[in-house]
Amino acid sequence: MMRSLKLFAALVFSCIGLIQPIFAADESTTKRYYDLTKEIRCVVCQNQNIADSNAPLAIDLRNKVLQMINDNKSNDEIKTYLVKRYGEFILLRPRFIATNFLLWCFPLLALSIAGYFLYRFSPKRPT
Amino acid sequence: MTNAIKLKHIIPFFILFALLAILWRELFYAHPNELPSALIGETVPEFQIPNLWQENKSFSTKELAGRVSLLNVWATWCSACSMEHPMLMKIKEQYHIPIYSIDYKDNSVDAKNWLHQEGNPYVMTGIDQHGDVAIDLGVYGTPETFVINPEGKIVYRHIGIIDDKVWNEVLYPLIKKYERLT
Repeated sequence: MMRSLKLFAALVFSCIGLIQPIFAADESTTKRYYDLTKEIRCVVCQNQNIADSNAPLAIDLRNKVLQMINDNKSNDEIKTYLVKRYGEFILLRPRFIATNFLLWCFPLLALSIAGYFLYRFSPKRPT
Repeated sequence: MTNAIKLKHIIPFFILFALLAILWRELFYAHPNELPSALIGETVPEFQIPNLWQENKSFSTKELAGRVSLLNVWATWCSACSMEHPMLMKIKEQYHIPIYSIDYKDNSVDAKNWLHQEGNPYVMTGIDQHGDVAIDLGVYGTPETFVINPEGKIVYRHIGIIDDKVWNEVLYPLIKKYERLT
C-alpha cells in the first residue's frame, strides 16, 4: 500500500516538468510563447522543439523566451537573439533570407534541372 | 551505331560517384549534431559573474583580453568534464596556456572541493548559476571550450572533451598562431 502510494507520488511529481504553466498576464503572451517555443529547436535533442523537450537547456530557453516576451521584444527580435548565439539551426523553420535561399529553393531547382535533362536526353518518338 | 563509349554516357557515373563521395563524407566524417559556433569572430559577449573563490569579487570579460586564452564551461555533475580534467592540467602545467572557466549551473561548494581535490587548472573561475552567460555564449552542453584571441574575440569553439588529438591537431596550432602575433 505504502509502496504503490510512493510510486504514485513519484509519477505525479515527475510529471511536473511536463506541465508548463506560465503565469502570463494575458492570452496574447501565452499564444506568442507557445508559437515561438514550437518553432525553436531543442539543440540538445535536436529533432524536438523546446516546447516539448525536457532538456535543462530547453527549460532555460523557454524561460528566456517568456522573459523576452514580457520585456516587449518582438518575435523577430527573439528569433534574432537566439540565431545570433546558436546559428540558424536553432530555428525549426529557417528564415527566408539570402543565406537560406538555397535551402528553400534547392528541391524545386533540382527537380527542374532533372526534368530538363530527362526531356532533352530521352529518346524522341518518331513523328 | 558503334559501340564506342561516349562521354555523355559516362557522365552520370561521375555524378553518381561524386554524390556517393559526399554521402560517405557526411556519414563518417561530418558531425552534424555539433553546431558551429555562431559567434566565431565576434567579441566574447560581455559578462560579469561572481568569482568562485572570492564571491564578492567578479569575473568579467575584461580579464580575457591581452593574450590568447581558453574559456572552459564545466560542472561537477558533468562526467565528461572530469574526464577532460587531466588534459586541462596538462595544458596549464606543460603548455602554460591560461584557462578561464565558467562553472555552469553547479553547486559552488562541490566545485571548490572538486578543484581542491583534483587540482585547479584554471586561472579564474566564475559561477553561472542560472546559465544566462552560457546562453549568451551559445553553449548547449558541457564541456565546451572557446579559444579567445588577444583582442577578446572568439576564434574557435570546441564541443566535448579535449584530448591529445584535438589539442595537437586543432587547438594548440590555433593558439600558437595567435601567440606569434602578440
